[in-house]
Amino acid sequence: MEYWKDENEPIKAFVKLFEAAMVDDELTGGLKKVNQLILFDYTENGPNCSFWVDCRNGELKVGPGKPAEEPDMTMSLSADDAHRSWSNKLNPVMAITRKKIRVKGSATGLLKLAPKLKKVAAIYVTVLKDLGWEDKILA
Amino acid sequence: MNGNTGKIINVDLDKGSIETEILPEEYYTKYIGGSGLAAKLFWERGNISADPLSPEAMLIFMNGPFAGLRLSGASRNSVAGRSPLTGNWGDSSCGGYFAPELRYAGYDGIIIKGKAGKPSIMLIEDEKINILPAPEYWGKGTDEANRAIKEKYGKNYRTLIIGPAGENLVKYAIILNEGHHAFGRAGFGAVMGSKNLKAIVVKASGKNMKLADPEKYEELRAELNPKIKEALASDVMRENGTAANLEGGVVSGDVPIKNFTSNYWEEMGQELNGGILTEKYLTKRRACAYCSIACKRVVEVKEGPYAIPEGPGPEYETITALGSLIGSMDLAAVCKAGRVCNDLGIDTISAGGTIAWAMEAFERGDITEKDTGGIKLLWGDMATVIDKILPEIAARKGSLGMLLAEGSLSAAVKTEKDTINYTVQSKGLEVPMHDPRGGGHGLALAYAVSPRGACHVASPMLFMEMGACFYPEIGFEYELEPMTDENKAETAVIAVALGAIENSACFCQFADREIAIPEWVGLFNSVAGYNWDAPDMMKAGTRVFYLKRLINYLFGRTAKDDALTPRILEPARDGEPEGVVINFEGMKNKFYELMGMDPVKGIPSRKKLEEYGMGVEAKKVWRET
Repeated sequence: MEYWKDENEPIKAFVKLFEAAMVDDELTGGLKKVNQLILFDYTENGPNCSFWVDCRNGELKVGPGKPAEEPDMTMSLSADDAHRSWSNKLNPVMAITRKKIRVKGSATGLLKLAPKLKKVAAIYVTVLKDLGWEDKILA
Repeated sequence: MNGNTGKIINVDLDKGSIETEILPEEYYTKYIGGSGLAAKLFWERGNISADPLSPEAMLIFMNGPFAGLRLSGASRNSVAGRSPLTGNWGDSSCGGYFAPELRYAGYDGIIIKGKAGKPSIMLIEDEKINILPAPEYWGKGTDEANRAIKEKYGKNYRTLIIGPAGENLVKYAIILNEGHHAFGRAGFGAVMGSKNLKAIVVKASGKNMKLADPEKYEELRAELNPKIKEALASDVMRENGTAANLEGGVVSGDVPIKNFTSNYWEEMGQELNGGILTEKYLTKRRACAYCSIACKRVVEVKEGPYAIPEGPGPEYETITALGSLIGSMDLAAVCKAGRVCNDLGIDTISAGGTIAWAMEAFERGDITEKDTGGIKLLWGDMATVIDKILPEIAARKGSLGMLLAEGSLSAAVKTEKDTINYTVQSKGLEVPMHDPRGGGHGLALAYAVSPRGACHVASPMLFMEMGACFYPEIGFEYELEPMTDENKAETAVIAVALGAIENSACFCQFADREIAIPEWVGLFNSVAGYNWDAPDMMKAGTRVFYLKRLINYLFGRTAKDDALTPRILEPARDGEPEGVVINFEGMKNKFYELMGMDPVKGIPSRKKLEEYGMGVEAKKVWRET
């Protein structure tokens, strides 16, 4: 991996990112509208390199690893591309076209989710700073 | 001839004559079919000085080589000629079910000249072709006329019909297939109306088709149809239609709002997107002939002021043009406005663009109730749009109907005030519903250099900028940043050729995004036996683009007409693209240089034309050198 020293680092950053999003009412409200259980699967970089976001039934939960239930949608990519994506350095449409991102499950969910993820990404730099990982911030 | 039938129908409505003609194979190998072949025929036979609504004007319908061959997205049809809206070369593409039936009847196209003595229809049943007086359909909406024609001839007879707007020569009148699929742009419904031709009806008895290599074609078809069907983008559009990503478009600033004065309206994105249409009003999904994507919508609004029975539903362009562009986020109202436009036979994009201009002009005081016959033009007032404005436009009734029936540019000129600056058009054609300031700066270039005027389907630039395709075999393997001018001129060179191929092959841009360049070449070779490689195919596309430029030059259009009105080039006032400036002239100058186009005349150099096998055409436009 180019940006991470092990498989735990990206999950720590991304779970923290969603935890930070949860204190923002606007972001929380937007994510709840997606109403899906989503698995972010980076397991090509390690068996535990994944996390999930559950925004079903008016709640918003996030956790490392795989969810206990079958996800409505799975987005599979590398942890490095995930870092680029959260840093707004990866065009997600192009990444899907070139199979860097593989999406399984609800297309409707994906379209509901995409605009919300862009808003979540806006606080990614702050999260990296909070973790003391300024060196990971992409210029 | 393989692939194409090689045969067209020539109709002279003045003389009442109908003749069939075999075209030289070279026309197809050089100009493919669809709008490319139509341009070739117009170049040879068109009367350049003829008013587009005069009997001398040519109305050309043309299939592509894959019509009826059971390949997803490949059975569209083109209509072409001189646009009454713009006075330039115009073409418009339509999906639906007409193209395969025409092909099965034995024809690639129809050229119509003259004017029938009384309202008529054209009836094609294999070799039997007749022009029949049909005053009973005149004055009827497209839905009623379509039902009546099918009741008389049979439900499997395929129809092209104009509405009252076409009869009344509204400059952006459409031609509708099966009451649902539109030749929407450039006003060819008015051309049909000017010829007293209410409908063209076709029925074939067989499906005889000769292909160059049927086995190879079947092999390709068997690979491509599932590939197109299973693509994520297809899945998305099947589920929620072409407006599926409208909310994402709002976030990026691509969706126009209130005559392009704003690039961000979050609530609107949440109310007008395809997912909401599915949840609230969708009753069925429909597809064009042989297409596995099925992006067409059938909707019903059961109650409320905008209730409509089950019928054709709006796609992205209509939702935006009759929604956010005129200040509305009422999806039921948009559904009804779209249905009204269909029935009256009006292009929703130009209607929305023209009404949005009028609303802004009214807000600014540049037009008043004196100009509108007492009608107040207020953002988002959908009741007035539906009950008054659209019917008055279609009927050319009252001062407002007369003003807006000509399109935004003509209407602005008539005001004799400085209102052209906030028309949003290029070469007189209203800009479609992707704002280059948020959608991608290359799109501004693509709109401006498109022969028919601002057009989102003249080239796949929008898809290329967003990253929805890549074509390493023809040099497009790099990533684009939508909000800059970097590599946009270089990309446009590829895009205009690809767009010309798509519109000549009569392919759907949603379906063919999944087709790789070697597969494109394989399709042409297995169907028509061209023995092309990728450069041959791209050369044909560029040749088509060049020819349309030459036609526009004969109409008096030059490089200065490759322009956009100020509104679309001023920095966005809000949203993601706020404050960003488009380097339009830089992109245009580079594009001209790369295309070998004269910076004043706006046409390819003599040398460039000769390089593309267009020496004869070059002599006509470069006489003095």
